[in-house]
Amino acid sequence: MSLLDSRSITLLERTLDSSSLRQKVLSNNIANIDTPNFKRSDVSFQDALSNAISEGDTLEGRTTDARHIKINSKSLDDVKPTVFQENSTSLRTDGNNVDIDAEMTNLAENQILYNAMTQQINSKFGLLKYAINEGKR
Amino acid sequence: MGMFDSINISASGLTAQRLRLDVVSSNIANANTTRGVDGKPYRRQLVSLGERTAPSFQDALNGQLQQAPSQGVRVTEITRDNAPFKLVYDPSHPDAEKNPSSPMYGYVQMPNVDISTEMVDMISASRSYEANITAINSAKSMALKALEIGR
Repeated sequence: MSLLDSRSITLLERTLDSSSLRQKVLSNNIANIDTPNFKRSDVSFQDALSNAISEGDTLEGRTTDARHIKINSKSLDDVKPTVFQENSTSLRTDGNNVDIDAEMTNLAENQILYNAMTQQINSKFGLLKYAINEGKR
Repeated sequence: MGMFDSINISASGLTAQRLRLDVVSSNIANANTTRGVDGKPYRRQLVSLGERTAPSFQDALNGQLQQAPSQGVRVTEITRDNAPFKLVYDPSHPDAEKNPSSPMYGYVQMPNVDISTEMVDMISASRSYEANITAINSAKSMALKALEIGR
């Protein structure tokens, strides 16, 4: 394991990426609150991520070269947030399905998640710094 | 993905809601205008909103690559309400019908503006404006938090 390329930091990075994408998608929902026939979108990431980090339930092929074909790879690089649209619902007569209360809640939730992730990354880096300074602070 | 995408999206919402508010103001201000630019009573204006899609090729490509949805909201058109004018009996009004043989004799055509509808639209626009402001503040605090990483 290299110093800065540890699994947990990559994991936190991925979550930060998906969180900022979700912020964009939620902003778009809120901006289109009065647009007729607009359907809301959201980002799904948690499921793909927990599939990738759950270990021991499938066989995994070991690769020793970048050109090898991956078998059941659980590389975090393959985990990408996906944007999906909710087409089946309608909240008002104009076909719009943005629920402002839900969107504001999602926004607050997303912001807290983002802050938690940055805090976590900071504490990881803090530990590294501590080790680099030989514990001297 | 740009760092300020979500702020730009919310800014488009702010622009659209402010324009709605401007149009509501114009409707309320002209609620008693019996002589508009064309000599007829003022007709109420309506704002239509639509999704804003990526304006440039680069943005469109990025949108496809990330499966990102539209890039905010835009005003598609401002239309005139074709609802009939309100008729008010006021023979002393200078714009009242003067022809005694007309069935509308003594009536004035008033604008088709309903003050309560306009007030409701105004509150709706200002609440949506506030929601966009909250989204901007949230994006801003996230960006500032990201700057603190590694400090």
